[in-house]
Order: sequence, then structure tokens, then C-alpha cells
Amino acid sequence: MKDPLIVLDQVQKYYDDYHALRGISCEIGKGEFFSLLGPSGCGKTTLLRTIAGFEDVSSGRVLIGGRDMADVPANLRPTNMVFQSYAIFPHLDVAGNVGFGLRKRGDLSADQKKAKVIEALEMVGLAGYGKRPAHALSGGQRQRVALARALVLEPEVLLLDEPLSALDKKMREQMQTELRRLQRHVGITFILVTHDQEEALIMSDRIAVMFEGEIAQLAAPQTLYRRPASRKVAEFIGVMNFLSATSTVSGDTVALDIAGLGKVTLSAEQCPGGAPSGAAVAGLRPETLSVVIDDASATPSHSVTGKVVEVVYYGDMTYYEVALDGAQKPVTISMKNLPGRRVLEIGDTAKVAWDPSALVIFAA
Amino acid sequence: MKQGTGLRIYAVAYLIFLYLPVALLPIFAFNDGTVIAFPLQGFTTKWFVELLSIEALHGAVRNSLFVAITTAILSTIFGIFAARASSRYRFPLKGGILGLIMVPLVLPEIIVGVALLVMVVSLMGLSLSLWTVVLGHTLICTPFAVAILSASFNGLDRSLEEAAIDLGETAMGAFFKVTLPLVTPGIVSALLISFTISLDEFIIAFFLTGSEPTLPVYLWGQLRFPQRIPVVMALGTILVILSLVLLTVAEFFRRRGVRRTGAKDTGGFL
Repeated sequence: MKDPLIVLDQVQKYYDDYHALRGISCEIGKGEFFSLLGPSGCGKTTLLRTIAGFEDVSSGRVLIGGRDMADVPANLRPTNMVFQSYAIFPHLDVAGNVGFGLRKRGDLSADQKKAKVIEALEMVGLAGYGKRPAHALSGGQRQRVALARALVLEPEVLLLDEPLSALDKKMREQMQTELRRLQRHVGITFILVTHDQEEALIMSDRIAVMFEGEIAQLAAPQTLYRRPASRKVAEFIGVMNFLSATSTVSGDTVALDIAGLGKVTLSAEQCPGGAPSGAAVAGLRPETLSVVIDDASATPSHSVTGKVVEVVYYGDMTYYEVALDGAQKPVTISMKNLPGRRVLEIGDTAKVAWDPSALVIFAA
Repeated sequence: MKQGTGLRIYAVAYLIFLYLPVALLPIFAFNDGTVIAFPLQGFTTKWFVELLSIEALHGAVRNSLFVAITTAILSTIFGIFAARASSRYRFPLKGGILGLIMVPLVLPEIIVGVALLVMVVSLMGLSLSLWTVVLGHTLICTPFAVAILSASFNGLDRSLEEAAIDLGETAMGAFFKVTLPLVTPGIVSALLISFTISLDEFIIAFFLTGSEPTLPVYLWGQLRFPQRIPVVMALGTILVILSLVLLTVAEFFRRRGVRRTGAKDTGGFL
């Protein structure tokens, strides 16, 4: 990366015997919306707090804007944080909270500070809320105050620690798009910690998936979804069908015999962890499979027949579980409910079409 | 019979038993006679007037105020240290250490009094003074301060101080600008409770007081003179009212603190 804003270089963190961060290295660009995604306990929050300066690194380096942060305390770093609990100061009103970090700025007059607070409140959609006491705010409003309080200081990096986890589903979805819009508007680097893969996919330019203190894959959302680097990543992000297969590698191609789907030859590029020889696992996302319904003219290049064992109707989509001959467990297939398209019933025989280019092959 | 009548009678009887003796104080304080017996002799305020003329009593009041104020300040400062440490940090033997701090709450005061007397006079070779009383009172008031302040500190979100640091404050600045304002109601409450306890305390003061008696010790001395009893009653009336007022103010601040941090009220003394 040219001119990265943040460089993490072999960051290690131990808590006594517990190895929380196991050599994290990555670069984060200016103006990027970057997410740290992983299950609880994977070290994502620790990494965020390391960047903020609330945790020391045991070894390795954190650089922001080319400067080593080792001796820079949290209060002097060009980062600001939105806490999971929002940490709104209960004894101050909204304007007091948002203006808290400005109090020490000697270069600004009182009027300039006031104007900045008002501007920040407008930016997060809380214009006119300045005199509201902190305890009279709803969850969504507290979140906005926390955002305004951090952004008013114009940090180089905004750190967000699971900022949406305390909100209800509807509010969360609204804030996801709003945060993304806000980030594009201010152009500040955002680093988001989340355990919600959907949230990470929706909001991020790039995502680092973390397991057990290590980055398992760092990629853009589309790559992460379409070409997960390992079966573990694939399982963590979205839904994927896994079918056992046997593989024979010859040069750049891999010949596969997939249980339930049959024989197919792929390029080695479709094996992110390197082409496995012998036992392998073939992964397919539910939307890359389709059930052929009442369409005699359809002649898919690859198809098999199976039996519908489960139907889940979502309104816009229907999820089928289809048992394929020779496969150990049924595959999940998602179908759009287009106008006029019939929904199959349990017990129906179904023709299942699939696309070899969507296959991802992992070692078994 | 209506359901629960028995329990209602019990509750009323309980309250009468608890407060009748206290209610007798003002009755006899305004009674025009030196004998504490019914029937009452008539209404008077002369015992209160007499209070004003007793020099030794004024000295005792001054001594008590000095001891109570000093004790309140010391106990609250120690309480702040202990409460913040217990709410913030994990350290070896934390449970045991906090337990030891709280033990004086249940130790018989006469044991504490004798033990301190032995230590101060025999082992350390100090002479008794108001400061030795302060020492004993601080020992028994600190657990109360710790209990009140722990509730204040535990109610605080840990992220608040971090947020202040994140916004540019030093650790010290964060403590003074965020933590302290939020626990101030707890501090006021701790000061008032410690003050009240020290002001009323007799046993430890009795052992550790030198030539300058505190008010309860002075009162005890006066009980030997029957003609002084109505005056003692008048003084007792004032002390009871003062204690109630202080306790109410303390509780007011404690509740205000709970409201300000938006926490749920989970107890208190009133």
C-alpha cells in the first residue's frame, strides 16, 4: 500500500500466560473504512485498544502517520474512540459532552468551540439537542452524541468498538448506512470492531477476519465472501454448503469428484489454500445453486436431481434444503421469489443447477 | 378480620417500642421539673436556656465538632482510596483485604476501645488527646465510608475515564473532571454519615479521651448529678434532631448521585 496511515508490524500482546495477539501485521489506508471481524475473544477489541493506546503492545510496533506510537499515551494519539457503552458523561449535557475534548484547545475561541459543537451535532442529525441532559437520550441518540464527540476533534482515525451492538435491529440497520455515509462525507479513516459479519460486509472497504489473535484473511468484502481463504472463514461469513470431494492435481488444473454433484475440472486458482491432493472439501454459496422450477427450456450446463426436504419461505426469498444423491447432507439453496415462480413443497423432486466457477475448494 | 391485620399491629407495636424512648427525650426536655417521672409538671424551655450557660458543655461541643469533622474528612479520604481500588483493580488477596477494612463495622466497640488504649498508651507511649479519639473514630467510620463510596464507584462505567483520556485528558484530569463530579454525592453522603457516627459515639471516646471530653463523654459524666438530667434531656433532643437532619441530607445526596449516573437505586440507609 502506498502511504498507509496505520501500520501494524508484528504486534504481539500477552496477558500473563494468555496470548491475545499473535503477530498482527497489516496496513490501513487514509480514508479507509476498515473492519476487524471475528468471534468474541479473537483479539479484535484488544487490537483496537492497542491502536487507541489503552493497551501496550508486548512486542511489535504500531505506527500512525509514520510515527511510532510506543511512547505516545492515549490522550495524545491522533485517534478518537466510540465506546461500546458510548461512555456519555452523565453529569454533562449533550453540548458539554461533544465539547469535552475541545476544552483544552487553546487555539480556538469560545465562540469557535461553540460553532464546532453545533456543526458536529448537525452532522450526526442532532441539531438543537445541545441543552438536552445526557440521561434523557435514547440509545440511538447516545450513539450519535458519542460519534459527534469524537468527530468534533477531527481525528486521523476514528475507532469504533462494537458501536451498534446495543441498538435494536431496525436502528442498527439505519445506523449502518448512516455511518457509512458519514465516513464518506468526513473522509476520516474508520476502524470498526464487530462480530456481525453482515455489518462488516455492508460497511467496510476492507475486512480483517480474526481468529484466536491472528488475522485469518484480510480482503475486500466481495473477495472475502466469494473467495474465503479457509473453511473457517467461509463458515464465519454467510452460509456455505460443504461437500466432500476427492481431488487430483495435474499442473494448473484440479480434477474433482464431488459427492452429489459429480466430476468437474477447475483451475487451481479456485483453491485458496493451494490445490489439495486427495480428500478435499468443495464449498458453494446457497445463491450459486438454483432449483429449476417449471422451466422445460432451461438447459443448465451442470445439473443434478435431488429431493426437497425442507422449505423456508422468507417473503422475498425461499430457502430449500435439497438432498442430492450421493451427498452426505442436504445442500441449502436460496431462490428469489420472482413473480409467477412457484414455491416447491417438501417431497418434490427438484432439478438442481450449479455453477463450477462458484466452487471454492479447501483441503479436507 | 381483614387479611394482614396481625402483621399491621406487629409493625405498629415494633415502631412504638423502637421510638418511644426517643420520644420521651423531648417530652422531659420541656418538662418543668427535675424528676423524670409522670405526671408532667408543666411546659418550660429553661433547660435549653441553661445549656447556654454551662461552660464545660461548650468545651465538649467544640471537642466533639473537632473530632467529628476531622474523622469525617479522614474516613472519607481513606474511603475514596479503598473504594476506587476495589472497583477498578484486581489484586492478590483483594477479598481478604477488603474484608479486613470492613471488620471494624462488626467489632465490639469496647474491644476496639481497649485495644487502642493499650496500643496508644502502653506500646506507643503517647498521651491521650482528641487526636487519639479521632484515631479510634476513623477506624470505625472508614468502613461506612467505604461501603457508601464503593456503591458510587461501582456504579460508574469504566469507559467514562477512558473516554475522557481518549478526548485528551490526562489520567489525573479524567479523574477530576469525570469521576470526581460523578461520585461527589457519595462523598458528601460519606462525610455526613461519618460525622454523625463520630458525633454520637461514646464507648471508644470514653476510653481514648484525655482531659478534654467529647459531648457524649461529658453527658455520661453529668448523669451522676440528678438535677442535671433535664439538661441532658434537652441536649439529647438537640442531638437527635441534628442526627436526623444530617442523615436525611446524606440520603438526599446519595439518591441524587444515583439519579445522576442513571443507575438503579439498590439500597442506602434510609
